[in-house]
Amino acid sequence: MLTHISPNASLPRGDKTTATTKLAAAVMTAAALATTGIVATTATVAAAATTSGPTLVLYSAQGYDSAETTAFQKATGIKVSLDDDSTGPLLIKVEAEKNNPKWGLLWVDGATAFASLDQQGLLMKGWEPTVTWNTLGKQAVPADKSYIPTGLTMAGTLVYEPKEVPDPPTTWQQVLNPKWSNEIGMNDPAVSGPTYPFVAGMMNYLGGVAQGEKFYESLNKNGLQVNLTNGNTLEVLEGGIIKLALIQSSAGIGAGLKTHGEIKVKFLDPVTALPSALGIDSKAPKAEQLEAEKFVEFVMSAQGQQIMQSGDPTGDSLYWPVLQGVNPLPALPPLSSIHVQNINPYTWGAREDAVNTWFTDNIVE
Amino acid sequence: MPAALTGQGQGTSPAGAGPYDDATGNGTGTGGGFNLDNGDRPGRAAALRSKVADAARHYAGQWLVWAILAFLVAVPVGAFLVQVFVPRLFDQGTSWFTLSNLTQAFQGHTFLGLFNSLWVSTVVCVLDLVIGGGVAWLSMRTTIGGRRIWPGMMWGLLLVPTWLMAQGWQYLTEPKGVLSQFGLYSPLVHHVIFSPIGVVLVDSLATAPYAYLTLSAALGGLGSQFEEAVRVHGGGRVATFRVVVPVLAPAVLASVALVFVETMSDYGVASTLAFQSRFPMATYGIYQAINNLPAQFPVAGAISILLLASAAIPLALQSRVTRGRSYAILSGRTRPATRYRLGRAGKWSLTSVVGLFFVVALGAPGLGAFAGSFVANLGSPLGGQALTLANYREVFSGDIAYSHSIAEGASGTSGPVLLSTMLAAITATITVVVGLAVARLLVARRPGRFTKAGDLLILGSIALPGIVLGAGYIFAFNLPIASRLGVDLYETLPLLVMGYLATSIPTTSRIMMGPVAQVHGSLMEAGRVHGARALSALRSCYVPVVSRVLVLVWLVTLTKTFWELPISQLLYPPGQETVSVAIDSWNNNYHPEVGAAMTVVALGACFLVIGLVLGGFRLLAPKGWRRMGGWRSVA
Repeated sequence: MLTHISPNASLPRGDKTTATTKLAAAVMTAAALATTGIVATTATVAAAATTSGPTLVLYSAQGYDSAETTAFQKATGIKVSLDDDSTGPLLIKVEAEKNNPKWGLLWVDGATAFASLDQQGLLMKGWEPTVTWNTLGKQAVPADKSYIPTGLTMAGTLVYEPKEVPDPPTTWQQVLNPKWSNEIGMNDPAVSGPTYPFVAGMMNYLGGVAQGEKFYESLNKNGLQVNLTNGNTLEVLEGGIIKLALIQSSAGIGAGLKTHGEIKVKFLDPVTALPSALGIDSKAPKAEQLEAEKFVEFVMSAQGQQIMQSGDPTGDSLYWPVLQGVNPLPALPPLSSIHVQNINPYTWGAREDAVNTWFTDNIVE
Repeated sequence: MPAALTGQGQGTSPAGAGPYDDATGNGTGTGGGFNLDNGDRPGRAAALRSKVADAARHYAGQWLVWAILAFLVAVPVGAFLVQVFVPRLFDQGTSWFTLSNLTQAFQGHTFLGLFNSLWVSTVVCVLDLVIGGGVAWLSMRTTIGGRRIWPGMMWGLLLVPTWLMAQGWQYLTEPKGVLSQFGLYSPLVHHVIFSPIGVVLVDSLATAPYAYLTLSAALGGLGSQFEEAVRVHGGGRVATFRVVVPVLAPAVLASVALVFVETMSDYGVASTLAFQSRFPMATYGIYQAINNLPAQFPVAGAISILLLASAAIPLALQSRVTRGRSYAILSGRTRPATRYRLGRAGKWSLTSVVGLFFVVALGAPGLGAFAGSFVANLGSPLGGQALTLANYREVFSGDIAYSHSIAEGASGTSGPVLLSTMLAAITATITVVVGLAVARLLVARRPGRFTKAGDLLILGSIALPGIVLGAGYIFAFNLPIASRLGVDLYETLPLLVMGYLATSIPTTSRIMMGPVAQVHGSLMEAGRVHGARALSALRSCYVPVVSRVLVLVWLVTLTKTFWELPISQLLYPPGQETVSVAIDSWNNNYHPEVGAAMTVVALGACFLVIGLVLGGFRLLAPKGWRRMGGWRSVA
């Protein structure tokens, strides 16, 4: 091993240090210039925004949220600052901001998620818009009025390609048939928002956590493939890695529309309702809470519902309305043909961590 | 003669001011000749003041650089980690002190994930030394065909996100995949890809550029004098190998350290191939904990502590091997290296091997991005779907109802792409300057008092996935007290850029350590001897040697920042989506085909900027700048 390559290898420090000092000065100059640039840009954006005064911060994962926000601003003059992202990162932000929340209104799927936020005291309680709920809507409104259901999709629907699977299972028991060994996929409930309600729903349907665990263990023994999210599970279905996908109804029906019927959705008995909902931040300033209420009322108005149904026609618009007089899009089957079960979001929301940990330890790995 | 040079031993110039002063590294110690009259109190006070001023000057640069790093990295990472023990501090639990979160990280799947990450990272390090070192040596020291292309290909590989690479392999090998279209589907190949072997393979391909960059910098600066010296003394190939390999030790260790922590922190493969193969990795455990409801930040923090600690392994190795030795080889006397002349058969066979490597490494992810963007369905390109340009129309048109850019008045993709380009350029510029300063401190032969801690912080932070830094930034910079004082940094562009800097500076300074370590101090000394002040000498003697490295590092940072997702998701100001957030939104709202099209458009924008910068450097930089330093044949 060489120890000294050069006789002059012993470096004098002063030179390097002085140069580093100068370099550091250059750093500060560059940083100052850059920061000035960013601040100037921010100021420009802020100035542009300030002219119409944005105060309501909406965290939303809905595909139609931009359209809804634009229409709301036009109708009311209230500025909305929209943070459009997936449910996961939005809930991470809400949890991380707990001691100093920046959001005013949250719009994602999953009553259990809202129940969990409610149990942490993060949601404003006791207010609902003045609307006429249909039966599903009445069932989805929580007793403490801490969040507002805006529509329903179904968790854990059976999605398949008819040309590959002409004869799909018709009951949950048939899903466990060895015929489907290594052919079934679902999402990880610890990462995919719409999947925990499916896991909890099966436990609820089968009579309890232990019975539900047995079901998933059987599914696992039969070669269940667990993926990250709806999109990943659909990808492996299309790639031929699996033949049956247990995913959210809107993802499956949307895929069916885009592939002109090459993908179909089956609703086994029962499927679990998965409400989308709006929740208002309990710590937001009163003025922002009032604006949030106006936004909710707009969403539940005829115009708001029309935008929800047209804003993302092959995605989130594929929901069953919770209001009387609003019909679902034609691509959705009538609810009378589906057996829907509701789970208590507060009971099952509180179990989410334990159930997901069990799922990770026993099914995922 | 500059005044600084007359200072030593004459009591007129402070220690640390001149290039030949105090080599003890202790500016507050004996300080090279402040031997003033002991009985003269005012004189003594003046000397003391002078000493303090000297110390301040001596350490000011170091302190400033470490302070910047502490603010950008240590504070948010510290905030994230402290809630492991004090969860109540950020409302993440009721306990004021607990160890239960840490013990939880040592149990079940989280511990298994850490174990898997450790052995995968170790194997990947070894493979990348072979891949990166092989390509570097062949393209720089032999007459292999296409040697001007391969470095560019390596840079291209560096631009590919790991998730895209994993997706490409999935498309290639799945039952209805590319291979099956040619009747080449093999269940064995499919199962190998969806196994730990596939995880190691994709991780190795994804991180091979880091090994290449650190090793090629050393090979480029090595010259051929060492090989020639061995030959002159009658040594054969083995003797040459034994001489050259130790000379390359810092680069090899830098490569090992960087590849190790980059693999440890990867989430793209951990969440796709590894997860689907039921092969838990540490970063996935962090994501699961954070995504839970209520979020388990303290558990994620505990796993992060173990990841951070894992960075100490390569660091200890590096410290043990290189301690007290100098590896400076790039001086004013360095001569260009000569190339080994390959025989006709050797040339073509080796060219084919390297070519095949890049076809495989770049072909799979390329397929994932491009094929997915031209089909009408969900991103799986080969389900018999008709090709369409509709997805591109959706990306560019601002009038579709569910375009996420409408709310902020931007049109289609232009808003996010322009914003991300601007943020990435600002981040890259600051990163290059700070990263160079950090690299110089890291390679100092006599480390400053913060160097070791700083190095562990740097490597450790690379080992942490972006989501940890993002969440740490919320904890650290969204404090209620700051809001009450009117300082609301959270969800502003400056904080987003700070988050980007926190991820880019550590990697960048680590990449630059190799080239910086090889620049001999005599270059700066020569400048100072000829009368140049420190900054002037830096500009005229030092910067030209490392200019190409700086340009390339700027481009890497630009690209990585452009595609950065987890920090962008958590810190971007509402209404100002970055390109990665926009693409992720498309994908998660069941429009992955539009997301794929947007990916292709954004890739195009990225390549345009890279082309402009490389072209500009070629046209504007003096020819000598382009011939010096490492990573030749690229710029």
